[in-house]
Amino acid sequence: MSFEQQFDAIENEITEEGDAPPFFSRPGGKIFIIWLVLTAIGVVIGVFAPHHLLPGLQSGSGSDVWATIVFFSVLAAPVAAFVYALSFYSLIAWRPKKSGSSDEPPPDGPPQRGNGPLTIVWLGISTLLVIVLLVWGMTVWSSQQVAHDGALQVNVTGQQWLWTYEYPGTGVTSRTLELPQDRPVQFNVTALDVIHGFWLDTMGIQTDANPNENTVIRTTPTTLGGFVVRCSQLCGLYHAFMNNKGSVVTPTQFGNWLVSQGATTSAAAKSANVPESSLTPSSSSTTTAPPMNAGASQ
Amino acid sequence: MSIATAPLLLEDTPLGPKAGGLYRRQNALVGLIAGVVLAAIGWVVSHALLQGSNWGSDMVVTVTLTCWVIGFNIGIGTFNAPFSWVVGKDSTREDELYGAGVGQGAARYWKYCTDHKVVGTQYFVLVMVLFAIGGTLAMMIRTQLITAHSSFLSPGTYNNIVTIHGMIMIIATIIMVSGPFANFILPIMIGAKDMAFPRLNAMSLWVVVSAVPPLLATFVLGGVDTGWTTYAPLSVQAPPAMDAFAICIITFAGVSVTVAGINTIVTVSTMRAKGMTMSRVPIFAWGSVVSAALGLYAMPAFLTAMSMMITDRATGTSFFVNQLGGAGWLWENVFWTMGHPEVYVILLPGVAALMEIASTFSRKPVFAYKAAVAAFVGIAALAIMVWAHHMFTTGWAPNLATPFMLTTELISIPTGVIFLVLIGTIWKGSIWTRLPMYFLYLFLWNFIIGGVTGIYLSDVPADQFFHGNMFTTAHFHYTLLGGAMIASTGAVCYWFPKMTGRMLNERIGKTAFWFIAIAFQVTYFGQFWEGFQGMPRRIAFYDPIFLRANQMSTIGAYFLMLGWMILLAAIIVSWRNGKIAPANPWHAKSLEWKVQTPVPLENFLVDPVVTSDPYTYGEGVPDGQNEPSAAPEPELVPVGASESSKGEGAS
Repeated sequence: MSFEQQFDAIENEITEEGDAPPFFSRPGGKIFIIWLVLTAIGVVIGVFAPHHLLPGLQSGSGSDVWATIVFFSVLAAPVAAFVYALSFYSLIAWRPKKSGSSDEPPPDGPPQRGNGPLTIVWLGISTLLVIVLLVWGMTVWSSQQVAHDGALQVNVTGQQWLWTYEYPGTGVTSRTLELPQDRPVQFNVTALDVIHGFWLDTMGIQTDANPNENTVIRTTPTTLGGFVVRCSQLCGLYHAFMNNKGSVVTPTQFGNWLVSQGATTSAAAKSANVPESSLTPSSSSTTTAPPMNAGASQ
Repeated sequence: MSIATAPLLLEDTPLGPKAGGLYRRQNALVGLIAGVVLAAIGWVVSHALLQGSNWGSDMVVTVTLTCWVIGFNIGIGTFNAPFSWVVGKDSTREDELYGAGVGQGAARYWKYCTDHKVVGTQYFVLVMVLFAIGGTLAMMIRTQLITAHSSFLSPGTYNNIVTIHGMIMIIATIIMVSGPFANFILPIMIGAKDMAFPRLNAMSLWVVVSAVPPLLATFVLGGVDTGWTTYAPLSVQAPPAMDAFAICIITFAGVSVTVAGINTIVTVSTMRAKGMTMSRVPIFAWGSVVSAALGLYAMPAFLTAMSMMITDRATGTSFFVNQLGGAGWLWENVFWTMGHPEVYVILLPGVAALMEIASTFSRKPVFAYKAAVAAFVGIAALAIMVWAHHMFTTGWAPNLATPFMLTTELISIPTGVIFLVLIGTIWKGSIWTRLPMYFLYLFLWNFIIGGVTGIYLSDVPADQFFHGNMFTTAHFHYTLLGGAMIASTGAVCYWFPKMTGRMLNERIGKTAFWFIAIAFQVTYFGQFWEGFQGMPRRIAFYDPIFLRANQMSTIGAYFLMLGWMILLAAIIVSWRNGKIAPANPWHAKSLEWKVQTPVPLENFLVDPVVTSDPYTYGEGVPDGQNEPSAAPEPELVPVGASESSKGEGAS
């Protein structure tokens, strides 16, 4: 067979002309089936696994993390499945017997030097995917950037190797982070010595604490329960121990907690946005056990 | 006489007793002694002058280790040629032949040898030594993390090990392909007699060698407890080990990578064989050149950053100290200006080598060659515009998050083309599953996971969760170890017969492959799991909720190390006693397989002439990359006539 004839034969095979065998018995069809199966597996894992792996999410921005992971996994599953399907199929179908132990190469394959339309389709699909990812990311990101009037202000200060939380207007400074449910919070984050990473994993927000700089992040806790603040930026010797606990509580509990930490009832009520009458005045220093970490769900 | 038909090999040239001059007395041991002596002098002088001053210890360490680097390079011979030119003395032909290793046997591997094949082999051994050190440190990290509160390492030691593991692996991966293969193989591939600048080539190697001891000295200088990213101001406050770290980087990134990169670019630009147009060069040459060019952009930023770091520490400037009017964000910007392009510096030559492997072992041309070249260039162009995605959560310029998210996600388009090229080459090929092909498949399987997990990190809202988290660690190990290093391992298996003259033992190699392939997934799926659960990176002790995932990762890591050790055993056994390799064991078509093994000095007995690219599989045409034969064909001679005058003495 001359080179042209060989090439024509290959062309025919590629363009599926003439009395070609049915679709599912050709390479393309078989790869398609493997691809479909792998995609389905990938989608199932992508949809159901993140929920079981992630910690219990406690805010809208936390749910955004979950949604992003699921959405991106579903988009990525067919892409990854294609690579796996084709590579598995090539090993099954296009590998001559004993090819791995032979000192002689198998006969040459077809001289395909490229395929313009295929390359363009490939570029088109990947561009489309990128646009979808980008639109998703921009939409979610801009929705998280909205500043709410009347948000609870918390000044966060990192230092080697602990966090301090100050609640302006109440005089309360604490080593645990109490947050009222369903109330927008704005964290103003800074550091005293080196860079630390202020990371509320269950709320899907993170920002570095930089000395002499103030960085702002926002979220709205929605789910009651405890969480752990972990430093996400290597900050020296005891970085591993720079954790402390926090919890999301009801506004009334939050007000009571502020009072127990030394705030006046009026300031606590104002800060917690609840009627003063609903708070228990801390008449003495009898510790009305603050509702810390009730049932930390980690 | 037989000489008339078989040309005398250059390396058999008899040399006079004085050929080489000073080089005759220089080797690695002399370099070591000279380095130690000069470092001692530097220490005594700087200590006497600076004792009691504010920044004394930083200055003393800086001066001492700078003296070590200079002393070692004086001893090994880096400065011989420039110095002799300064005093008006040029080297003779005999000197140059001596410099290329003629008549020295195995001793030339311990010397400042200008033969590109010797430099390539030296790099190969150096890379394996660096991986052995870095891998041992990785095992110590994983051993510490096998329980939640292990007392195996102290937190300070742990932090230093994390830093040095990171840096030594970065150094090793930057040179793992561009060192051994861009030096040994690339010049032969393009039909050159040597690299364009043989002395700079030797220099690039010995400068790396001199940069490694300062890095290891960090263990006795107090440790660098910052991670390899050395964020300021923590790094400005770090013990004097940080100065040693900076000297290592300045020497490695500022000198070695730059010199090696220029050498590669000039070699491919100017030394190609007759007929070897840029659209006929093997794709590996493109990958190497684009990677080298990207390195020339990236590495000066590292040099600059570390120089400023030293002045901050040793002379009291405050570029990076917020409290004194500087900016830690400045450090992060300059660092990642280097840091992101650098991963593509690592990746591109390995991927290009895989394209060679895909073509040879599928018996098909490289699919969409021009698209592959465009993808390399596109990746390089985008790579310099994505650095701030490492800074999404630092608080620096939140308004720039969107543009950097755009550039970062755009880079997945040319990266996708790399998959198209590899898969297209395999498509309907005749898959010859020898050992290099195994690593091509493993690359495909790993790198797609590395790529997919990268898009989570490129998305700002998801990055708020994953940044600084073990997920990130698993992601970049999937790209750098599972992707780039697996690619380079494929390249080792592919070019081993040419470099050593022996066949790699595939039985042991395939055993190693399965350990590596499976244990790798266990190790890093363990770390993905840790990341999903919310475990931060770089912590020595952790919440017991992460225990299972960490144990999974550690057990995987032990088997992964075992796999690499089996592979190392295969390399050592085969190198010593392996089957003698034929010149072209893979029946490939590029020029490096057309020269005899072992490759003679200056590679080609007859200058090659090229009439097509080396991918003419199945096209039924004569081989376009000609075979230089011992008896020159008359029509080939004129080409060499014009070339030989400028090529002479290139080594």
